[in-house]
Amino acid sequence: FTFTKEEMNKFWAKNAQLNRPMSPHITIYKWSVPMMMSITHRGTGVGLSGAISAVALAALVLPGSYPYYLDMIHSLYLGPCLIALAKFGIAFPVSFHTLNGVRHLYWDIGKGFKIPQVYKTGYTVIGLSILTSAALMFI
Amino acid sequence: MIIMAAVARLSCVCRRGIKPLLYQSTLLPRALVASHKYQDHPYMLTARIHASQALNASSGSKAASLHWTAERAVSVLLLAMGPVAYFNPGPFIDYSLAAALTLHGHWGLGQVLTDYVHGDTKIKIANAGLFLLSTVTFAGLCYFNYNDVGICKAVALLWSK
Repeated sequence: FTFTKEEMNKFWAKNAQLNRPMSPHITIYKWSVPMMMSITHRGTGVGLSGAISAVALAALVLPGSYPYYLDMIHSLYLGPCLIALAKFGIAFPVSFHTLNGVRHLYWDIGKGFKIPQVYKTGYTVIGLSILTSAALMFI
Repeated sequence: MIIMAAVARLSCVCRRGIKPLLYQSTLLPRALVASHKYQDHPYMLTARIHASQALNASSGSKAASLHWTAERAVSVLLLAMGPVAYFNPGPFIDYSLAAALTLHGHWGLGQVLTDYVHGDTKIKIANAGLFLLSTVTFAGLCYFNYNDVGICKAVALLWSK
């Protein structure tokens, strides 16, 4: 928006113009749990957003109503295992992104930055996400 | 340090006129000593220059910090909407969810673009595309709420199978 963005743009403009190669970073740095959780938070966010946009677009474009398409899926008579797996597949991104989102808000009020706390809250989020998704799988 | 020395000297001129400036011999060697110290550590000099530039820039807009706060506010709002949608489904929460989800997603994807897209024209094109996507998403969700079962009912129906 202001000073920082200009600096950032100048950095990229100069380095792109000089055709400088980018130093290896994610290909060489050792992966850690916080790193993986961070990119998963971003991945689930982008994925969920994409899914919502797809549903919205489908609503505008497709001719039938929602119950019509739901009945179409019903008529496939998919096995209960597959249905449960699909429910887990939907529930997990939602619960992970939500719970990790709460963890982000916790950081935003300035708490929980010590490394042991980062790992503790991180594992809590992972554990609760799996538990919630598993529970939702059976509803 | 050099800049601070320059500012101090100028303020002396403003206060007492030009003559005292010529007798300000004490200020000059101190400024020279200070600048020599910074020659050994050039990065500190850069940090100083950036600091004084940042002080000038901070008198600019608060847009970025307000945006940050608004993002967190919408996140908290969305969090609160979850239980409401479960216990009190209906058109009010359907449209609120459509708005909050679209806005949260729009700002989230905006941050992703800011991180990975570089170059003035590319940024402009990407942001325009995002705006289009978010508009279509919001329109589609509202259409779904109006002409079809609505978000809450849709989730309930999906899960009942």
